[in-house]
Amino acid sequence: MSEQLKITCSGCSLLCDDIIIIKDDKEIKEILGACQKGINKFNQIKSKNRILSPLYKDKGGLKVLEWDLALNKAIQIIKNAKKPLIYGLSTISCESQILALKIAKKIDAFIDSNSTICQGKFLNIASEMGITTTTLTEIINKSDLIILWGTNIVESIPRLFSKILFSRGKFRMTGREIKNLIIVDIYKTASFKVMGTRDLAIIIRPNEDIELIKILKKAVKGDYTFPNEGISGIDKQDLERFKTFLLNSEHITILPGQALLNQKTNGDAIKELLELVNLLNNIKNNGRISLLMVGGHYNMVGFEHMALSETGKNQSIQFKNGESIKSDDNIISKIQKEDFDLSIIIGTDPISHFPLEISKILSSKPIILIDNKKSGTFLIATLILPTSITGIENKGLAFRLDHVPIQLKKIIEPPSLIQSDYELLQKILDRLNK
Amino acid sequence: MAFSLELLKGNVKIEDCTPLLDDPKYQEKYLKLKDLLKSEEGKKKELKINIENELCDGCGICVTICPVNARYCYSILSGKAPDYPPDTHQLFMVKEGKCELLNIKYCRRLETEGKERECRVCETYCPREALKIEYI
Ligand code: SF4
Ligand code: SF4
Ligand code: SF4
Repeated sequence: MSEQLKITCSGCSLLCDDIIIIKDDKEIKEILGACQKGINKFNQIKSKNRILSPLYKDKGGLKVLEWDLALNKAIQIIKNAKKPLIYGLSTISCESQILALKIAKKIDAFIDSNSTICQGKFLNIASEMGITTTTLTEIINKSDLIILWGTNIVESIPRLFSKILFSRGKFRMTGREIKNLIIVDIYKTASFKVMGTRDLAIIIRPNEDIELIKILKKAVKGDYTFPNEGISGIDKQDLERFKTFLLNSEHITILPGQALLNQKTNGDAIKELLELVNLLNNIKNNGRISLLMVGGHYNMVGFEHMALSETGKNQSIQFKNGESIKSDDNIISKIQKEDFDLSIIIGTDPISHFPLEISKILSSKPIILIDNKKSGTFLIATLILPTSITGIENKGLAFRLDHVPIQLKKIIEPPSLIQSDYELLQKILDRLNK
Repeated sequence: MAFSLELLKGNVKIEDCTPLLDDPKYQEKYLKLKDLLKSEEGKKKELKINIENELCDGCGICVTICPVNARYCYSILSGKAPDYPPDTHQLFMVKEGKCELLNIKYCRRLETEGKERECRVCETYCPREALKIEYI
């Protein structure tokens, strides 16, 4: 018999909780409301790419292992390592993240999430300077200006515009007509296509965002004239409009993206942006200006919270003698220095995503991969332990991009003998404790 | 605007536009337009909304912005997907990651919902340029 359920999609950090599925006892028949990216996640259930048994690589190639043997192998490899790394963790539940932190503590590992090369940079700087954040509900109901800064959300979080820019909201009802949009980027991305005539498109020269932010800081304080020739490829007229938007809008949300995080200015652009936000909040009598981080993986934010509550640090944690110790490293610097002899990769594919020279070093040492799909990292891993898909085949807690916790449901049974990240990590921890 | 909409739909002919015919300064434009529309003259055209499946990524912007959807599906006001089964007035819904046109009957460009209007927001804001309003 088929039934209709409302579920949450774990295809990206937006964690859309308005997805309707129609399913029977065995499988999902129809999915309504999810974007193509979300559907791709559901397609993973039966994908050819799916890993369906533990695998071990020896001289003769990849061999299928029984679970008991595979777990013993994992313990043996981990115990032989003196400087293990644990990396990934953005696509598993919060409960599993806590277990991974416990394992890291047990084996004196260095543990880091994908956030370290993404929004974590922002949060690190923000932890020194303070940050004004917001929630999706607040943006939907109150925002009258949304600024996308170096992020192409049409590609990365496909339904975000539909929710925050095109929705009407409780207080404004008119929706898009009063919600203005500014996009700052180095070229016209697909996101520019949703711009209307009142919106402001800013094409800026690469790595010059800091100049724009500095000049805006001066301008909003008053008594400043923009140079006639403009700056960083932006016309004087557009600079004037940017300033007017900032001063006259009531509820402003800035979405800083990768392009801003990866500036050659080494985090100074982020500092300047945070200063601009603080400055405007002091100047403004009505409303406020806040930031919404737009990381891609569905539970990147969750790890920040779990790590902070377990260790007092939100990422890049080095354990020694069962305690977290001070370390200025992150996953990239650890690999660069070759300060590791094993990596445990959970739910991510660093071999495909890291720069080539970093991937090369990473692949020179043993890798234990815990994931549900084949990837570049799968191809070179020593031991592969498959898991079920959280939010589809097992439940768990995740944090949405605006730091709101959302419970993901189990919808269908996983393939036979495939356990969740949580069950698997618990077994590894139990065996390490024996 | 209303006249051009009627012209596109084939309900009126270019000759029906009096100012264009009377004023000599519009003669050149009139002849140009007449030439452009020549082959289509006299045929009544039908409103079509085409969604290119390959291009659409199910972002749901058309579902949210369509004023008819918003009037009949309350959850859309707060940016959520509409309920299921769909309201009889609902024009679009996203199914299996692609937008589907459920029925065109209540589109504002038709008379069903009172006075017809020059609405085009679904096409304007589709970031993938997957949705096109046409008269065939
Ligand atoms: S936007 Fe993200 S969470 Fe929402 S349906 Fe698409 S993939 Fe899933
Ligand atoms: S043109 Fe028709 S379908 Fe498109 S938004 Fe307007 S009313 Fe809706
Ligand atoms: S706005 Fe365009 S891409 Fe988005 S769901 Fe509608 S047709 Fe598809």
